[in-house]
Amino acid sequence: MKQAERGILSAYDLKKPANKIAYAAMSLVIAAMVVSMLYPIAVAFFNGVKANVEVNTFPPRFLPKEWHWDNYVTGWKYIDLTLYLRNTIYIFLGNMVATVLVLGLASFSLSRLNWPYRKAAYYFFLVTLFIPPTTYIIPNFINLKDLGLMNTFWAFWLPAGANAFFLLLLKSFFDGLNQELFESARIDGASELRCFFQLAFPLSVPIFATLAIFVFSNAWNEWFWPSMVLGGEHYPLSTAIKRFVIDARRLDTNIRFAILTMVMIPPIFVFLIFQRYIVRGLHLGGVKG
Amino acid sequence: MNETAVSVSPPKSAVKGPKRGRWRKHFWGYAFVLPAVIIFLLFLWLPILKGIVYSFYHVDFVKGNTFVGMDNYETVFRDPVVWKAVKNTLYYVLLCLVIGFWVPILFAIAISELKKFQGFARIAAYLPYVVPVVVLYGLWRWLYDPVGPFNAVLMKLGIGQINFMTDTKWSMISLVVMETWQQFGSAMLIYLAAVLSIPKDWYEAAEIDGAGVWKRIRHITLPSIRHQIALLLVLQLIATSQGYQSQLAMLDGGPNNATLTYALYIVKYAFNNLNYGVASALGVLMFLVLGVLAVVQHRLSNRGGDAS
Repeated sequence: MKQAERGILSAYDLKKPANKIAYAAMSLVIAAMVVSMLYPIAVAFFNGVKANVEVNTFPPRFLPKEWHWDNYVTGWKYIDLTLYLRNTIYIFLGNMVATVLVLGLASFSLSRLNWPYRKAAYYFFLVTLFIPPTTYIIPNFINLKDLGLMNTFWAFWLPAGANAFFLLLLKSFFDGLNQELFESARIDGASELRCFFQLAFPLSVPIFATLAIFVFSNAWNEWFWPSMVLGGEHYPLSTAIKRFVIDARRLDTNIRFAILTMVMIPPIFVFLIFQRYIVRGLHLGGVKG
Repeated sequence: MNETAVSVSPPKSAVKGPKRGRWRKHFWGYAFVLPAVIIFLLFLWLPILKGIVYSFYHVDFVKGNTFVGMDNYETVFRDPVVWKAVKNTLYYVLLCLVIGFWVPILFAIAISELKKFQGFARIAAYLPYVVPVVVLYGLWRWLYDPVGPFNAVLMKLGIGQINFMTDTKWSMISLVVMETWQQFGSAMLIYLAAVLSIPKDWYEAAEIDGAGVWKRIRHITLPSIRHQIALLLVLQLIATSQGYQSQLAMLDGGPNNATLTYALYIVKYAFNNLNYGVASALGVLMFLVLGVLAVVQHRLSNRGGDAS
């Protein structure tokens, strides 16, 4: 990072008082941004250890007067977080398998194998990118019902293989792989299946890791669709939190915050540990909102 | 067949042959792509086609569907709430641009200039993105509460209480502020990477030529990230024109339909009114409008590509 010694501003600029003030103001704005990012997260944590009376007093205090750690015990007993977390992980793993097998093989074929009408097949997949998913959300629901997939994880696993965006990412990655490697493997008598699993797949672990981040954040965040397709037993964590904690009428606010904190803190730590890889993965994958 | 010809191109002569050989040659190509074709047909193309068909039917899971012609579309065009929902959606898209779009650009440029704590600021901005959205919904409901912390500050400043959620003037704005807070980090990372990759000697040269700080930002930084700006603008427009999740989770389209977006109305028509036919018709109409927009965008971006 030697090159980053100057940015838009040079050392000379910063000697001018006007620029100095502007730089200080800018730092202050960033500091305010950082505080506004951390504040709500801290509020959730502190509210989770307050007594219920204290959470509901006005004006609200930031730090708790007494620390009620037993809120966590009450919260843990109120909702079976492990069950719903397990469901989320099931959905994520199944979706990932579908992504690797269905989309991985298809994009490998489109990129590396030669067959007639390849271009037509490519457009068959690509066009779906231009159809906004919300426009067919209702027929999609009825379709899953017609196929008898309601209330099963298959309703997530199978459609996970129908993602043109991921297909595009994978194809462009395979396009960049060394062609001669595959040629020599073929001459050595490796089947295409072996070429995929023993050559292409290990080489494309970075792109699959990027996809894993997307797939995970989908499984982790999606709450509305699962609440339509699945029943209570099968809810992923997000849906369960929405239905049983946030929409709950008779749940003390402090317990509510204790549960929210329990769901919030682990992913933050996972992110802090792996953030270097996650951010790099996001860059590799290009852009996704 | 003489030996030299075989030795020159053995693989070609081995695979080229009668029709059966050709089929064998392409077998793996077809086999690999077949599962994806089936999945795309079953879970993308089939629902899309079904949507068009259902928009002409009255859908009933028990008694079966009955053909009703254009009735569903007539219902849509007669429904005043549809127009309200269209207006709300346009308002939401506009608010997301006005309140949200410039924030990640601003912070990307500012953070790129930070001498210290750059990594820390970057992580902090991304943090809300890591937390499940539903948790943030629960959190912000409390922050926006009439007796929540925001109102406590407003009271102290003597401005007086604002009903962020239940006041029809404020409800949509409150949602957009929340979403901006939650989402700007990921866009900022994209801009930041672009800003940091601008060669530093461009700034050096501009400075020697006497360009001030503003001029450097306007004529070097912003033009250098214009592709990212254009791309994220299009992505944001596509996403916000279909937005309904935060409106549904925070306010269920209320108060008085002030946050009822078009997409939310589709969902409500289906799952609250159980009228899947009209919901499908709403979806088809939305597809027509957004499809035209997508084609226009495609044309525009192609023309931009030719020019540059």
